[in-house]
Amino acid sequence: MRLSAYPAFTTTAFQARLAYRNQVWASVFGELVATFAYIAIWTAAFAGASSVAGVSLPDMITYVLLAGSLLNWRTDRLINELGESVRTGDVTVFLLKPFQYPGFLAANHFGQYAFDQIVITLPVAIIVALTVGLLPPASLFHGLMFLPYAALSWLILFCLACLAGLLAFWLLTVFALEWFLRGIMALCSGAIVPLWFMPSQLAAALGYLPFAWVSYYPSAVYLGKLDAGQSWTHLGIGLVWLVALGSFLAWLWARARHRLVVQGG
Amino acid sequence: MLPIISADGVGKTFRQLKRQSGFSGAVRSLFSRDYSEIRAVDGVSFAIGAGEAVGYLGPNGAGKSTMIKMMTGILTPSAGALSVLGREPHTHRMTNAAEIGVVFGQRSQLWWDLPVRDSYDLNRHIYDIPEARFADNLAYLTAMLDMASFLDRPVRQLSLGQRMRAEIAMALLHDPKILFLDEPTIGLDVVAKDAVRKFLAEINRERGTTIILTTHDLVDIEEICPRLIMVDEGKLLFDGELKRLRASLGSRRRLTLEFATDPGPLVLTTATLSADEGAAKHFVLEDETVSLIDVLNEVGRGHGLKDVKLDEPDIEEVIRTFYQNKPSLAGAAP
Repeated sequence: MRLSAYPAFTTTAFQARLAYRNQVWASVFGELVATFAYIAIWTAAFAGASSVAGVSLPDMITYVLLAGSLLNWRTDRLINELGESVRTGDVTVFLLKPFQYPGFLAANHFGQYAFDQIVITLPVAIIVALTVGLLPPASLFHGLMFLPYAALSWLILFCLACLAGLLAFWLLTVFALEWFLRGIMALCSGAIVPLWFMPSQLAAALGYLPFAWVSYYPSAVYLGKLDAGQSWTHLGIGLVWLVALGSFLAWLWARARHRLVVQGG
Repeated sequence: MLPIISADGVGKTFRQLKRQSGFSGAVRSLFSRDYSEIRAVDGVSFAIGAGEAVGYLGPNGAGKSTMIKMMTGILTPSAGALSVLGREPHTHRMTNAAEIGVVFGQRSQLWWDLPVRDSYDLNRHIYDIPEARFADNLAYLTAMLDMASFLDRPVRQLSLGQRMRAEIAMALLHDPKILFLDEPTIGLDVVAKDAVRKFLAEINRERGTTIILTTHDLVDIEEICPRLIMVDEGKLLFDGELKRLRASLGSRRRLTLEFATDPGPLVLTTATLSADEGAAKHFVLEDETVSLIDVLNEVGRGHGLKDVKLDEPDIEEVIRTFYQNKPSLAGAAP
């Protein structure tokens, strides 16, 4: 098999989403309302102050879009798809094809992610930029550094979602795990409240957990809250987390495959 | 000729957790777990040559799907040696997958939201099919399976018959050497079943694709597969031509002779009387070599013979007889 199959999975997933394009309008509207609600909350919280703990209101508005809409993408489709196909044994269909199933999943859901970003997040970002304004990256260095951080963020969240989907095989229903992950992400990734505004001990603890690399660190780098040295260090720690999560996922996937083999699919 | 699939004493044992009933059972199972062993496939041996069409037949739970899954590399045999296209399928899952095609009657491999054509295009990438070859195959399969009318429709809008044709075409686009089908006609109506069977027989004859088919529907076997492998409770019961199965059970054709008036008792050397209704007499032809003419010659003229009816036993009956006589015949099978 050529590697070109993986980009083909991505474009196919993108096209499949186009089949349901009337869902898009509802999603854009919902996202717009949620985004402006967060902006309203932060505006009220700042109460006219120009900066709180070194963070300005425009910083926070940009943070809402980056940490919430762009980086903390909806993983429910992935978790449901993986959980159901492993639980029902439909995953055997994928084992009959000459490709790696986890690679297929990543390519497929990257296509869906790209669709959501272009069709939902981009219009919302344009509306926010034109009405209340969005900040550019703090510097060229921070702008460039944001790119590897964004890639790292996507892969870490992908691994977390796959772990949740696979765990459905042994533990609870897919539905419960999906809500569990959503709750964890809302609190620990900094998708809603950045680590700056958390009690210092909690922030210190969360700052070392992998969730923070999904929303908090990439957004902080973009806004220039981490200097060059800190940016490189945290990129390194994030990569270690990615390797750890990836290895755990590979191990769990092998166990699930073994279990399928034992049960006979 | 070297076989492309060979199984030598292949076995598959599943471990199943024994669940203990009641609360005390649940508590006990926290500390000790009892497993029972289920032999889904037990010491099965056969060899299949290139270009053969083989029906793999057995009642529910006989180990048909388990065998298919081992041959396609999803399951690992727990005993014996299995070789497909000269390789162990489970250790070479990816290379094996590139050279076989698989159709599951119960599980779709098409993309639900996309037009059929897009699913095929994705397969072109997955199996790395050259552009020209892909176009040829698609044109051939579209014509053969009469798919032109729904090739651009999303899969979710297709009828079951259309979807099954699309699934079979999808499994053949990359010119697989072997096509595995697990109950391909399940749930189809008579017309759709017929179309699928005719096509499979054709592809086996024209392209020399080896076909391994599991089914409950005996007509599938009769129309597609000259060779039959029968299993039950994981064990091989019969392997050979359908004709030979018929012969080994005795051909047992049934003959009915109708006379204008009751000719009285009639004893023949060529046929055995099984029921006498006076004017209508039923015989069984035990001997394969006896022809209808032999019988009619023996009956001779003068009895006022009105009508003659000869019934070949159909495959359902042959197989039913086989399963009923299983213990005595199992030893006789090769």
